[in-house]
Amino acid sequence: MRWSIEHKETWLHETNPTVKLLLFLPMFIVIVFVHNPNVLINWTIGFTALFMSFSGYRMKHMLLFFVPFFFIFISTSLSMILFGKGETTWFRFGLIHVTEESFYRGVHLGFRTLLFAIFGLMFALTTKPVFLFYSLMQQAKLKPKYAYSFLAAIRLLPIMLEEFQTVHQALKVRRAAKAKGFRGKLELIKRYAIPLLSQSIRRAQRIAVAMEAKGFTNERARTFYYELTLGKYDVYLFVVICMIVAMGYYVADAFPYVPIKDVR
Amino acid sequence: MIHIEQLRLKFPGAEKRLFTDVSLSIKKGEKVLLLGPSGCGKSTLLQVMAGIIPRSIDVPMKAKALHIPKQVGYVFQDPDAQFCMPYVDEEIAFVLENLGVPRAEMKEKIERVLQRVRLRLPHVHVPIQTLSGGMKQRLAIASVLALDPDVLFLDEPTALLDEEGTKAVWETLKEVADDRTVVIVEHKIDHILDFVERIILFNECGEMIADGPTDHIFSTYRSFIAEQGIWYPEVWEMYEKPKTAQQPYHPSDVLLHVQSLRGFRQKEEKITVDDVVIRAGEWIAVTGENGAGKSTLLQSFMKLIRTEGDMYWRGELVKNDGVLYDNIAFVFQNPEFQFVTNRVDDELAYCLRLEKRSEYEIEEEVERLLRRFHLSAQRHLHPYQLSMGQKRRLSVAASVTERHRILLLDEPTFGQDAKNTFALLEWLEAYRQQGKAIVMVTHDERIVSQFATRRWIIENGKLVADETIVPRTLVRGGI
Repeated sequence: MRWSIEHKETWLHETNPTVKLLLFLPMFIVIVFVHNPNVLINWTIGFTALFMSFSGYRMKHMLLFFVPFFFIFISTSLSMILFGKGETTWFRFGLIHVTEESFYRGVHLGFRTLLFAIFGLMFALTTKPVFLFYSLMQQAKLKPKYAYSFLAAIRLLPIMLEEFQTVHQALKVRRAAKAKGFRGKLELIKRYAIPLLSQSIRRAQRIAVAMEAKGFTNERARTFYYELTLGKYDVYLFVVICMIVAMGYYVADAFPYVPIKDVR
Repeated sequence: MIHIEQLRLKFPGAEKRLFTDVSLSIKKGEKVLLLGPSGCGKSTLLQVMAGIIPRSIDVPMKAKALHIPKQVGYVFQDPDAQFCMPYVDEEIAFVLENLGVPRAEMKEKIERVLQRVRLRLPHVHVPIQTLSGGMKQRLAIASVLALDPDVLFLDEPTALLDEEGTKAVWETLKEVADDRTVVIVEHKIDHILDFVERIILFNECGEMIADGPTDHIFSTYRSFIAEQGIWYPEVWEMYEKPKTAQQPYHPSDVLLHVQSLRGFRQKEEKITVDDVVIRAGEWIAVTGENGAGKSTLLQSFMKLIRTEGDMYWRGELVKNDGVLYDNIAFVFQNPEFQFVTNRVDDELAYCLRLEKRSEYEIEEEVERLLRRFHLSAQRHLHPYQLSMGQKRRLSVAASVTERHRILLLDEPTFGQDAKNTFALLEWLEAYRQQGKAIVMVTHDERIVSQFATRRWIIENGKLVADETIVPRTLVRGGI
């Protein structure tokens, strides 16, 4: 089964995963405390541009990745827009009550989720798990015990997916892949989960034993096959993020799209 | 090299002690095979010798003296459960990292161990998932070699491999063994008899009953070894197959007729069959290399994957997949995936209940099946608590009901010992005699030549040959 999607390696892939994590995580918090929709719109444009130009993936694939987030954008903003509170009524029909305030609040919320999505995608699509954990071990002093456990677990996922398909076929043949009623559905979940979990637990235990048999202990100092260091690309990323953040504020102030500065 | 005196070991929760005062010593450079019935504790002993017990697996044990080597390499049974990294080079690097090998030396060392096991890859950064079972096991050997062990412990390294992979793995192991000490646990011993010089024989109770040179043990304990279901070289010659095997069945009416069937996996065409029929009373062996599309063929017959083309059930075009499920039974390679209930007897009753038969009738049928498949004593157990052979028997018994006319099996004898294999083959033969058809994927040429009436060869996703097998005894009888 193929898991990686064809892509080019860009400078975003060359950045240090720990640095990337340290730059992106604070952004999630910052975004929550920004209440000016103009700023968020500018940031969305800026970071989308960064993502689209340097993720190394084809436009077709990137747009596909955005499809689910676009739906979340619509649904979060709509629920806020249609049922929010506000003074200036634009439209009222039964339960639906659209006001100016709720409209801007909705749009603001939508862009916030979109920004989260962009940062999440940008991190996931330009970071190899192996490099992330090697970097965390080398730069963030994560204990190898945890890093390698995660890496071993990642290896199990595709195997589990294949097994899920086999279990599905096996149940279908025995006419046990469908069930009626709530209790039936519960029974069905068990039917899938028990073989999958029991296989995974046994496999995980065996892998753990195999890892120790290969000399994996906490006692000795390790060397690393991949050496991850900080480089100029990390500086680039830092500068680019700072520029987009600053420009976002400046443009929001100089050329606002919406007349509201604070949606609260 | 290894010296154990009066080892006592008991698994927590077990009723009996697994070992009581077992002593043995193995000299440097010896190639030793531990042989015995399943469950006799060979693997446990191997883990004690390798230090895995009690270091990684905590089992209470006591020994008067225990000298075990420091530098050991251990190859496990399951190719999918001994790697922790996604790529070939990273996996070997993991071992080198553990040893503290400087980064600059790693590349060269990785290439050297890969060369030693003859794992020829386009480059070292290949996803482990894309390798075949045999290649994975050779990678496991390569990563063990990176440890530069004095002793190699091999715990049924080929139990889950096909014939080709088995051969390749043993060839590799013989090459890399050199003057290292090698201790092996294995059931399929055809390939290693010329390699091991000493055999230690165990009985069900974990007692050592013999210890000596290979030839001596084999000539003295032949019948004991045969009884334990071990695959020794002459096992097929000693075996007397049912008289009905390979005899034609009448009336051999057509059950399934397949016309230009094509099976797809994610838009990719994986199997093509032009025109074949399956008749009542046939035993069709499906053979071909790994990845040729044998399992895919069976899945296409059941429409478990997307298919195109026409199928006729007894002359009538199949429009509804239900017709296929009603008449064709499918036994998967891993029996555990097919179990749907929590008890052996419920498992057998499951299909019957779906048919809405009366409880009385179901109870009688379940009793009959339990006796037929020797599962009466286990009827209250959870299917997962059964042994390998019992699980296989249960999965066959539970999948097949009277209305099924065709039975599809995906390597049902895989990983089974000789005793279980013959029992299953005999049951299948009796089943065929009821006018049912058997279509079975197998790698075992002996099964093909002794039981099958027809053979299909699959090559690169195509059914390329469909030949009738003439039983050899008939030819010798002089027609």
